[in-house]
Amino acid sequence: MGTKVEEAWKKGSAELLVLSLLEDQPRHGYEIGKLIEVRSGGTLHFHVASLYPLLYRLEKRGWIEGRWVEKANQRRRRYYRLTAEGQRVLELQRRKWQEFAGAVGRIAGVQHA
Amino acid sequence: MPEWELEIRKHLAGLNLRPEREAEIIEELSDHLQQRYEELGAEGAGQVLAEIDWRNLVPELQASARTPERGSVAEGATPSGHLFSDFAKDLQFALRMLRKSPGFTAVALLTLALGIGANTAVFTVVDSLILNPLPVEKISGLAAVNTTQLKKTSQSGDLQAISYLNLKDIREQTRAFRTLAGHSYPMAVTMTDKNEPHRIFAEIVTANYFDTLGIHPFLGRFFLPGEDRTPGAAPVAVLGYTAWQSRFGGVSDILGKTIKLNETPFTIIGVGPKGFKGVYAVFGPDLWIPSMMAAQALPAEQRNALTDRGMPLFTGIGRLQPGITLAQAQAEMKISGAALEKEYPGANEGKSLTVTPLLEAAYGPERQPVVLGGILLMAIVSFVLLIACSNVANLLLARSSVRRQEIAVRISLGAGRMRLIRQLLTESVLLGLFSGILGFLFGHGGCRILESLRPAEYAENLADLRLNASVFVFAFAVAILTGLIFGIVPALRTSRVSVSEVLKEETRSRGRSRGRVALANMLLAGQVAVSLVLLVVAGLFLRSIEREYAIDPGFQTEHLALFMLYPGQAGYDRVRTEQFYKLVLDRAARIPGISSVSWASNLPLWGRQETGIAIEGQEARKRSEAISAVIDTVDLNYFSTMGIPFLEGRDFTQNDRDVSTPVAIINETMAAQYWPNQDALGKRFQLPQDREFLEIVGVVKTTNYQTLGEPPQACAYIPLRQHYTDSMILYARSERDPSTVLAAVPTEIHSLDPGLAVEDIRTGSKVIDQALWWSKMGVGLLGAFGLLALGLASVGLYGIMAYSVSQRRREIGVRMALGAGPGSVSFLVLRQGMAVVASGVGVGMALSLLLGRVLARFLYGVSGSDPIGVGGASFALLAVAFVACYLPARSASRLDPLVALREA
Repeated sequence: MGTKVEEAWKKGSAELLVLSLLEDQPRHGYEIGKLIEVRSGGTLHFHVASLYPLLYRLEKRGWIEGRWVEKANQRRRRYYRLTAEGQRVLELQRRKWQEFAGAVGRIAGVQHA
Repeated sequence: MPEWELEIRKHLAGLNLRPEREAEIIEELSDHLQQRYEELGAEGAGQVLAEIDWRNLVPELQASARTPERGSVAEGATPSGHLFSDFAKDLQFALRMLRKSPGFTAVALLTLALGIGANTAVFTVVDSLILNPLPVEKISGLAAVNTTQLKKTSQSGDLQAISYLNLKDIREQTRAFRTLAGHSYPMAVTMTDKNEPHRIFAEIVTANYFDTLGIHPFLGRFFLPGEDRTPGAAPVAVLGYTAWQSRFGGVSDILGKTIKLNETPFTIIGVGPKGFKGVYAVFGPDLWIPSMMAAQALPAEQRNALTDRGMPLFTGIGRLQPGITLAQAQAEMKISGAALEKEYPGANEGKSLTVTPLLEAAYGPERQPVVLGGILLMAIVSFVLLIACSNVANLLLARSSVRRQEIAVRISLGAGRMRLIRQLLTESVLLGLFSGILGFLFGHGGCRILESLRPAEYAENLADLRLNASVFVFAFAVAILTGLIFGIVPALRTSRVSVSEVLKEETRSRGRSRGRVALANMLLAGQVAVSLVLLVVAGLFLRSIEREYAIDPGFQTEHLALFMLYPGQAGYDRVRTEQFYKLVLDRAARIPGISSVSWASNLPLWGRQETGIAIEGQEARKRSEAISAVIDTVDLNYFSTMGIPFLEGRDFTQNDRDVSTPVAIINETMAAQYWPNQDALGKRFQLPQDREFLEIVGVVKTTNYQTLGEPPQACAYIPLRQHYTDSMILYARSERDPSTVLAAVPTEIHSLDPGLAVEDIRTGSKVIDQALWWSKMGVGLLGAFGLLALGLASVGLYGIMAYSVSQRRREIGVRMALGAGPGSVSFLVLRQGMAVVASGVGVGMALSLLLGRVLARFLYGVSGSDPIGVGGASFALLAVAFVACYLPARSASRLDPLVALREA
């Protein structure tokens, strides 16, 4: 039961996480997965099976855009960047998340840092 | 390096991705795995693969591929394999849903099938009569050539036939037409087969007629040029397909068989193509004979048609040269007409030639009403179909509340909105298609019924209704369109279910179902309005035809029996014919029940107008300003038999014979027009192509000669004993119902000569019936569709009222628990329903009044806003609507408040 709840939360926040990571600069899939893992201190971990389908979904919705980039001494990689619409969605989701987290916090008595 | 790509490809195999897309995904994923591998070190290969949740990857990728595109990036379009398998699934599911609720499916199916059936039947009529009336090759290249008066004088259409000699000259000179043929009207001739005489219709055509039309014989051959060179030399005939089937049983050894036409033996050399009944879209001949046999088919007074340039007989049919337009052909014919007028002024003065597209000429003057009628009927049945659609849409909306749970579950399982809409539309289109099949059968049945309503004596000569490929395509397209129309709004609505709301709600969400009811009410009000419009139109035409039946044609029709006889066609010479006329009168007068008998050349309401009458003492008029009048050859006692009163003078007598002074009786219109303010008795006039002056001995009341309720027309009657005609109509006035003498007269005639055809028999009231046949058919169709619309709308009204009562059970229960009586509850429900009806009636009335103005010109003696027509239709509709509302209202008032509250 516990893991299922975790799964659901993770799923709900995954879009927000990916969009946030692309806000500053384009990144490729492995980098995105790695960053989520590192920055969450290992709490959040995205596997290939969920990360890439998520990227494709966001791309299809037009929120992010992938492009093959070739660099010297390296295989070509697909870099994703945030689109204008993605930027809007990110801001919206950020606000919603804050409201949601705030509300849950107030009810559940969780203190903000 | 481990073979990531192979491993990934293995797992993606089931996805059916486009190859390029698959390659990209494989490249991206294997790069990821490679990086992870490099990070873990050389021993990590197994761990890398173990980390991947392969079972999850494929469904996740599938789900992402189905994500609806919102932005501009068109990456990864849905592979076609999916679309197809989704469609198959949708279809299966739709079939299951339809089977699951048989009641809904049956009602929807029947409702739509009635609508589609009505459309199919009417489209078949329109297609057979207007769009594709003639089964000839490339009809756009064909044109009809006719004579016209330079100055219009007659009131009945201005297209006239061309004489044989004129046609021959035009044919030799034309450059605009590749070929130019001629055909006569269908002529009544007597066909004797195995000594049995029958009246059939023959068309006299030039040998190139069939070639010009580009049609091919079903059996045998058409006429050869050599068979149309010498008058009377080649007695050959081509039989129509229908006549071959019905009169000769479709026997295969028909070719070479000899039949007698007007006592001349003809050899049948061919059978025309199936479905071809000449180029008049409405009425066609049973057989065709070459123009050189004209004398054998025509009545005595037209026997010199091949040599008299002034005797019109043929309508020209020309196939345009490639690259020549109709306007160019018209210009050429105008020149030809002018040349003919100059060369033969005696026959052609004041006349010209005109070219009409064959499709238009196929109807002659009746084209406009036929086309307008077709458009009107198409409009009406599409409204009926719209009512059916909105009914089914209402049913679907009501049902959507039942399916909310199902839809919510599917959305929470990840179904996208588009996907849901597609599923719902698949269901409704499937329903539309099933209804289309049933509707096509209904339409087919409707057409057979319509065909059976054709007057029996001419049914074989009238156009058939053909259910062909274009009708099928039409029905198919209508069925699909119908499915989309009635499905789209409910699909949009239903798919807009909010998961949390449905899962949250323990009772029905008030706001939403109220919204649904509002939409349903709007559809209902629309249905009521459209039904009212249809009923009003039907009511107006019903009133109009009632008035038409009440028209006094000026002669009695109640006790009249008519028998057409063609002694000339049985080979009688003049002496024998005249003897025969006298003998028949003697014998018929002795039949019990017959009070008087006479002969006349014209059938009632089939008067023939002649132009070129000269009046003694008045200056000779140019042909272009010629006087025209209906001319009727009649025998003694004609006026008393018909009940036409004399205003002045006397009837014809025994003494008006060949040797005595030529006399005539005219009607009061002619007297007032040409001898105003003076006594017409004793004045004289001359008929066209007649050298003698006729002295007027009597003036009678004006009657209707060509159509019921026509404006007064001039008419002159001339005595049979001074003007020989070889075919006449026997008029018998009966003492009682004329049907009693209908059998007795032919028996008497057969006892005189069994070789005479007496098939054209009718009563006076049947003549009126036939004159009003088109109107009657129109009113019948309008009435049927109006009632169909009313029926559909009231079923819809009942359904939605019953639904809304079931939605309000709780509210009604509370009201009743608080002391509301059954009466006030019924009133509540009734008021709700009748408010919708009233708004529909209001809109419908306004529309009807607008439409009435347009229709006014088709109505006789009734205005477009006739209070009885409009009021009667509204009343009928309100009454039916009241019943449809009352039934649910009554059931609401019988609700047990305890039960209702407990349920809620």
